[in-house]
Amino acid sequence: MKMSVFKHLAIGAGLCFAASITSAANAQPDFTGLWTNGPPAPGAGPVVARGTPPPPLPMLPQAKARVEAYQTLVRESGASPGGSCLGTGMPGSMQGSGGYPMEIIQRPDQLTLIYEAHGELRHIYLGDRNAKQEDRVPGRDGYSSGRWEGDTLVVETDNLVDQVDQRYAHSENATIVERYHLNGTDKQGRRILTAEVVMTDPDFYSEPVKFTKNWAQVPNGRLLPYECAEEIWSERLSELAKKAGVKLP
Amino acid sequence: MKLHTLIASTALLFGLACTSAQAHHSAVQYDFTKQTAVTGVVKEFSAKNPHLLITLEVTNDKGPHLVQFEGHSLNNMYRDGYRKGMVGIGDKITVNTAPLKSAAEGGYVVSVVTAKDEFFGMRSTSAQDAAKVQAAAEGKR
Repeated sequence: MKMSVFKHLAIGAGLCFAASITSAANAQPDFTGLWTNGPPAPGAGPVVARGTPPPPLPMLPQAKARVEAYQTLVRESGASPGGSCLGTGMPGSMQGSGGYPMEIIQRPDQLTLIYEAHGELRHIYLGDRNAKQEDRVPGRDGYSSGRWEGDTLVVETDNLVDQVDQRYAHSENATIVERYHLNGTDKQGRRILTAEVVMTDPDFYSEPVKFTKNWAQVPNGRLLPYECAEEIWSERLSELAKKAGVKLP
Repeated sequence: MKLHTLIASTALLFGLACTSAQAHHSAVQYDFTKQTAVTGVVKEFSAKNPHLLITLEVTNDKGPHLVQFEGHSLNNMYRDGYRKGMVGIGDKITVNTAPLKSAAEGGYVVSVVTAKDEFFGMRSTSAQDAAKVQAAAEGKR
C-alpha cells in the first residue's frame, strides 16, 4: 500500500515536471513596455527622415506614376498626413514609431500597439479573438491578426486602404507580414525588439518589399498625450465667427 | 508720435496676418544642416501639436517687424525640457533655428533660450543629427 502511494506521488511529480517543461517551452516572450528607436538595422541608416528617398523599390509603372503625381502635388508645400494630424498608416506607422515611442500592451489573446504620434493605435488579435473577415473595417492601419511561432510573433495585416502618401506606398490590396522577436540587449543593457517586415502588393510591386526595424526598451517609460487637431479646430471656430460677424468667444 | 505708433501697429498686424497665413509649414522648407540664432520679443507663442508656433518681434536693419517660426511638436519639446510657463508674451528670447531654404526670415525652432536663461530643445547641432531633427520635425518623428 505504501509503495502504491509513493508510486502515484512519483508519477504525479513526473507529470508536473513534464508539464512545467512543456509550459516553459511554449512560453511566449512578453513585449509589454515602452520602446524607442533601437540600433539601426543593417542598411537602414540611423534614422529614416521623411523626404529621404526610399531604397529602390520594384514599383510597377502605373503605381510609380501615381506616386510621382502625389509627390509633385505636395512638394512645394511639403504637406503630409501628419501635418494635417492624420496618422501615418501601415507600414509607415510602425516604421516611424520610436522617433516618438511605441507602447505595447500584451495579453494572451490581444496585443495593443500605441504609437505616440497622433495616438495611432493598432490592435493585434490572436486566435478566436479575431473578427470575421467580413466584419473587418478597412483603414490606414488595416486589420492585424497575430499568431505565435515559437518565440516569434507573426502579424498579418490586411484590409488596408490605398495610400500613395506613404514612404512605402501601396494599394488597398497590400498585405503586410511582420515578424517580431526579442533580439538580445544593446550596450546599455536595453532589450532589443526586432521586426522583419514583408509587404506584398501585386498592384504596386513586382516583388515583395522587405525591411527590418529595431527598437530598444525604455524601462519605466511613459507615453505622452498627443493632441493634434486643436489648431484645426481653432481655425474652424475662427471661420464660423467670421461668417457670423462676431468675435471669438 | 501717435501716427508712428499707428504705422508700427499696422505693420505689426499686417506682418502677423501674413505670417499666420503661412502656418502649417512642412520641414521640407528648412535647411536642417544649418542653424541660425534669432533674438526677439515674443508676440505669439503656441505650444501645440503637430508644431510649435512662435511669432517674434525682431529688430534688425529692416527695423522692428514680426517673424514667425515653426518648431517641434509639444511632445518633443516636453521631452527636451519645455514646461508650461517657460515662455510668456513680451519675453525676450532667443530661438535657434534651421533657416528657411529660401533665405527668407523665419525658420524651424530646434531649441530656445528663455528670458530667464533656461534652455529647452535639442542641444546637438552636429550634421549627423540633421536627419533626426528633420524626422522629428515631420510630426511623426
